[in-house]
Amino acid sequence: MSLPYATEEPSVVQGHVVHEEHEGLPGTIGHVSSWKSLVKVLSALIFLTVLTVAVAQLDLGRLNVVGALGIACVKASIVALWFMHLRYDKRFNFWIFISSVAFVAWMVGYILFDSTLYQHNIKEYRETHEITAPKIHEHDGGEGHESGE
Amino acid sequence: MAGGIVEKPASAQVVHPTVHYLNATKGFKNWLVTLDHKRIAMMYLCAVSFALLLGGFWAIVLRTELLAPHDDVILSNAWYNKAFTLHGAVMVFLFIIPGIPASLGNFILPMQLGAKDLALPRVNLFSWYLYVMGLILFVGILVLGGLDTGWTLYPPYSVGGGSEHKAVWLNLIFAYTAVFILGFSSILTGLNFIATMHKLRPKDMGMYDMPLFLWALYATSLIQVLATPVVGLTLGLSLIEHLFNIGIFDPRYGGDPVLYQHFFWFYSHPAVYIMVLPAMGVQSELIATFSRKHVFGYKAIAWSSIAIAAIGFIVWGHHMFVSGQSPAAGIIFSLLTYFVAIPSAIKVFNWVATLYKGAIDFKAPMIYALAFMYLFGIGGLTGLFLASIANNVHLHDTYFVIAHFHMVMVGSVLTGFLGGVHYWWPKMTGRMYNETLGRIAAVMVFIGFNVTFMPQFVAGTRGMPRRYANYLDEFTTFHQVSTIGAYILGAAVLLQVGYLLHSLIKGRKAPPNPWGAASLEWQATSPPDFHNFLEKPITMGAYDFENWEYVSEEAGYVLKREVIETGKSLVKAH
Amino acid sequence: MSTSVAEQETSQEALPQRPKQLAMHFDTLHQQFTTGKLAMWLFLGQELLFFTGLFTAYAVYRGNHQEMFHYAHYFLDWKLGAANTIVLLTSSLTAAWSVRCAQLEQRKGLLITLALTFLCAGAFMCIKYIEYTHKIHIGAVWGSNFGVPLNEFPEHLREKYPDLTPEQLQQMGTGSFFAIYFCMTGLHGIHVLVGMALYVWLFIRALRGSFNRKYYGAVDNIALYWHIVDIIWIFLFPLLYLIG
Repeated sequence: MSLPYATEEPSVVQGHVVHEEHEGLPGTIGHVSSWKSLVKVLSALIFLTVLTVAVAQLDLGRLNVVGALGIACVKASIVALWFMHLRYDKRFNFWIFISSVAFVAWMVGYILFDSTLYQHNIKEYRETHEITAPKIHEHDGGEGHESGE
Repeated sequence: MAGGIVEKPASAQVVHPTVHYLNATKGFKNWLVTLDHKRIAMMYLCAVSFALLLGGFWAIVLRTELLAPHDDVILSNAWYNKAFTLHGAVMVFLFIIPGIPASLGNFILPMQLGAKDLALPRVNLFSWYLYVMGLILFVGILVLGGLDTGWTLYPPYSVGGGSEHKAVWLNLIFAYTAVFILGFSSILTGLNFIATMHKLRPKDMGMYDMPLFLWALYATSLIQVLATPVVGLTLGLSLIEHLFNIGIFDPRYGGDPVLYQHFFWFYSHPAVYIMVLPAMGVQSELIATFSRKHVFGYKAIAWSSIAIAAIGFIVWGHHMFVSGQSPAAGIIFSLLTYFVAIPSAIKVFNWVATLYKGAIDFKAPMIYALAFMYLFGIGGLTGLFLASIANNVHLHDTYFVIAHFHMVMVGSVLTGFLGGVHYWWPKMTGRMYNETLGRIAAVMVFIGFNVTFMPQFVAGTRGMPRRYANYLDEFTTFHQVSTIGAYILGAAVLLQVGYLLHSLIKGRKAPPNPWGAASLEWQATSPPDFHNFLEKPITMGAYDFENWEYVSEEAGYVLKREVIETGKSLVKAH
Repeated sequence: MSTSVAEQETSQEALPQRPKQLAMHFDTLHQQFTTGKLAMWLFLGQELLFFTGLFTAYAVYRGNHQEMFHYAHYFLDWKLGAANTIVLLTSSLTAAWSVRCAQLEQRKGLLITLALTFLCAGAFMCIKYIEYTHKIHIGAVWGSNFGVPLNEFPEHLREKYPDLTPEQLQQMGTGSFFAIYFCMTGLHGIHVLVGMALYVWLFIRALRGSFNRKYYGAVDNIALYWHIVDIIWIFLFPLLYLIG
């Protein structure tokens, strides 16, 4: 049976597998992580988890958020680079991941920016208008007939 | 399965295959479990066309209601609300978004790459089933008494106790579920397309050798993968809000409805480009083929698709200028919105330049392509008016906006879709449609569109608000003319359904390449073999029309002898 | 599908025959593998954006209601959260290890690591269940249903803010915090459940000996999915349990 269509980069199979520290069988596809590196990665992650809990006990004001998110980002990067093999994977997969993260940041950032700016409108409205919504206690939800303005 | 390929001489010599993908296996069941991208595409085409007719039916109903300036012409006011909601939701979620990529893209994309199938055939079939589930849910909504929230499903109209009737309460659950499911259908199609273009492209075809249709689908797929999950989550949250009053979107429980709009438009603005980009891709193919000229500014068109996709993500707030968004965000969004005009204009100028000194052939698909340019031009330019905040506040929620987005979303997508269907009809079905009727219908679509929406621009600037079942006497003429236009459009679509179905039975058998187009799918037989190509197609530039010569109406265009012998394009790589 | 590797290797070298696992539209197993992986990465990209809506909702509500978030986070037990973090990180290790076993064709190791991943996921869900039932029991729930009596206030909260009353908490809209809490952890939990189902499927296939060094895409891709679930949790833990 002939294979009529061109293959993409079959040479990569060899190119990939020959990597100093690992012990893959001949012809294995992809990068094989050594068990030592996997255990090291887990230790680092657990250390960072302990660290993030410790940092949270201190009262650093706004820096608490920065610290916690910073450590979480480091942990996430470690998972992505080693557990998910991004360090050894094709560049394109890396860029997919990065661009998704960029879109995540854009969406969170911009909506947060806008929402802080329009909060005073809500506040003013609350102060000058009587809120006629169903009382917060009754959870029947079927009372409100006025649908917005 | 792969053993079925028969070694045969140049495929151009097989004029009418007796065994092809349509009759390779028989029976209803074989179609429902097929993994063949061509069959899935045809099933999508049927489903999508059904959605088009359903949405179109509501459009006609709406326009009829608006024939006279009083209530209850044919609909009660409550049903008017339901009619425009169903018209919008069915058209947007079931026709315009999946329309071109899922039907034409599914069929043509692997063939233009010379591949045997999409990268993930099972995922492809799964996405069709998801689509059909969404379609069934929408039909369920219709049967159970409709929905009156508008297609955007804004809270607080669309959550919890806001809807007084049990039926609407239930239908909202249906609507959220349906859009959620349809979103995943769309995401799966998108990632399948990207994977296919990267991994199944022949070695001797670079990204810049791909037809522009594929570039457009690539850009579309990027949006589908990156934007659609957001709307999935949003509607999922709305569903939970609707059921449990959790207070994220519903202001009655401390929620923030502007947040919903941010989320919704973060998807739904890019979704406009999910709609129009594939149509632009079809457009690039049609203009080049029927001008018999290499497309002008290939790279500019290719990259402008990507640019439109990218810019599409940073302009969503222009839907929210009057919704409580902060003025600072509004100004930034207004500025960014203008940038969309640049890549869009690049495309239009390049198409016009392609026409210049071309041997233009006014076949039906070409008439759609020309109509596309006109309608997209009007739609795009009026979009610029709306991008400026001051104008927008004045024109917001008037018929001006309605006319604008119908020109872009429907005018462009419908002409792109119909142009593409006519263009690839011989390839997909193996039959030629009636060219005269095709041209008449194309002209009718063009006229119908303009008659429908031009008066709406004027009515809008004079203050006619959208979503009203009634209007002041002074708008009567505008509405009546508009309704006549809608009838012309409806008649054109019915005419098309008629002659296209007729061609399946009585149509002339199509040659492999009736138009002299140069992308790879035309090297397959019409209709293609189950494995797409009888032998590996000769990779050549998508617009190297010089490789093909006209033989006869019966045999269409065939590859020149030198091309077959050398296996290479006559045109040197650029 | 269950051709043993040895068989397939010899047959592949002797005759230019297509391996059974190779779908008809691919040319090589390598092409098939990288295609699957690319598609998986695209899917993970959409997963990230899928969760973004909730992260945005979190950011918006937290940014504008700092105080309420501060009080509300006392209702979450960081010890349980930390335990769950460790459990999930461990399961990520076993998932990564299962890929290694599949690549090295260590059948026993593969079965063990797959089972361990499943068990860790199960442990995660058990801890989650304990947390959920406790919260529902004391009334720390979403929206207008929120209402925790004073005697159920956590000790730390009572010590630090002795004047805080249940009514005050309600009026601040603490229900919104729990709406976000339940949506985020709930959606994450659904992903964990899906992951568990996928690991059962992988285990069955591994029992049948379906995988080998050139055909283990399913193990690899599901591990990738599992790591993304882990990454999401890495962010959820500090955002919900630690920084009030």
